Amino acid sequence: MKHAFSVKIGPVGFRIGSDWRAPIERLAELYSGYPMPDDDVADFTVRLFAARFWRRFIRPAVTIGGDFVLPDAAPLPLAQALLAAEMGMNLQMALGQRRYLLLHAAAVERDGRALLITGVSGAGKSTMAALLSLRGWRLMGDEFALLDPATGLVHAFPRLVSLKNAAIGVVERAAPAHRFGPLMANTPKGDIRHLVPDAAAVAAMAVPARPALILFPSFGYAPVRRALAHSETFVRLTQASTNYVALGERGFTALTGLVKSVPSVAIDYPDTDSAISQVETVWAAL
Amino acid sequence: MSDDPSPTENEAGTTRRRALMLGAVGVSAIVSIRPALAQTNASVMTCEIPVPDAGRAGSAITADGSVVPAGTPGSFAANGRVFKAEDVKRALSGGQLPGTEYDTNRAYMNYIRKLQSGTSGFTCFASLQMPRG
Amino acid sequence: MAGAIFRSARVETLRIDWLDDFTILYHRASGITHLLNAPAPEILATLGEAGMTVSALADALALEFDLPDLETDALLARLNELATAGLVSTT
Repeated sequence: MKHAFSVKIGPVGFRIGSDWRAPIERLAELYSGYPMPDDDVADFTVRLFAARFWRRFIRPAVTIGGDFVLPDAAPLPLAQALLAAEMGMNLQMALGQRRYLLLHAAAVERDGRALLITGVSGAGKSTMAALLSLRGWRLMGDEFALLDPATGLVHAFPRLVSLKNAAIGVVERAAPAHRFGPLMANTPKGDIRHLVPDAAAVAAMAVPARPALILFPSFGYAPVRRALAHSETFVRLTQASTNYVALGERGFTALTGLVKSVPSVAIDYPDTDSAISQVETVWAAL
Repeated sequence: MSDDPSPTENEAGTTRRRALMLGAVGVSAIVSIRPALAQTNASVMTCEIPVPDAGRAGSAITADGSVVPAGTPGSFAANGRVFKAEDVKRALSGGQLPGTEYDTNRAYMNYIRKLQSGTSGFTCFASLQMPRG
Repeated sequence: MAGAIFRSARVETLRIDWLDDFTILYHRASGITHLLNAPAPEILATLGEAGMTVSALADALALEFDLPDLETDALLARLNELATAGLVSTT
């Protein structure tokens, strides 16, 4: 491919090739503090390409390719190429990661212990991770938490934090302008703006943490908390893992170990202030 | 009636057995973790893709792969055809689905390409796209 | 089907653990994880690899447990569910 960018995020190295220069320049700018893949060898490749050669120039549309692809992915307009690159990286992880058990969860760390925030799209994982990272927690990731079956430790995967719609304004009010990528309006997932992880998070991305609390937030309700039974947590986390089945017995060991050693709490919250306050309360009571 | 607290031992000193409920015929005692997306353990090449899915059997497919009521002008009858993964794989590389002509092949292939998660056949199709295993 | 023998999966294929009231097991032969609630784990443990007919199983369970709702249909339903899950085979 004509233009290429390589980056290491947490323990994973990526190489992103592109038919267009602009997205590569943008990625290089936003990920400028990050290291290169070990020995310059990427674990996964992502390709941003034009499905027909004329699609490079006429109503340019980015098709997402790579080591792993999904057949129903519609191409994105060139203006959203950054989103395409991010989706491409997520896809490689979701379908190809075998070393770590992948949990669809945000993770933040304090004093060597990790808080895992899990839930479907829209539950508020990325927003909460962003806000907590602006309040003294180390950001480990907003999309995937990597669980090592051998040690039970959580490893960071601090890619750009993906904020959607109303969350954009909430975080913009809390963080300086230079921390943000461009606003991408009207994408298939709504308006999106990326928050660049702070320098401390990037510098510490190879430092794992011991999971200490698993949170299941639900947005839009009066504040309420309840503890979850191990069995319920286990089943909900298998639904939140893209590679539990593929990891076989290692996945079983990792996940049973996690739910038996780490408490889980479900919280309902009406607004982000309530969510943050509930998190701090539950964490302090551990 | 006065209630004496139930002893766990009767007067002969033997322990009462724990009760085990067998449950009714329709009730389930097992939850199996189902793989999501293309994580299926089933053999890829024996899986099948119905066109359209069984819930919409009797519908027709337009040239761009949308499902419409049977008899819609310009659409192609699907008759609940079921295609094997290997046939679809061949058609993806430029072949033709068995028993179809140019137009019906194109319509069915567009339908297959548009399969969404949750629609019957999606997992089979998604596994066909994975270059490794 | 009165003489059908139901056998538990081979012991070395079952990796077993417990979460609350559930028995959770990883079946190495299939790669599938199952959560079992009473009476499934008790039935599996009692059947063994040698296997038993339904009536032999009922007798064996009755030695160890009090069975207030014992009915052959119910026991068969539990066995068929275990068979569908691949944890019991039948000949």
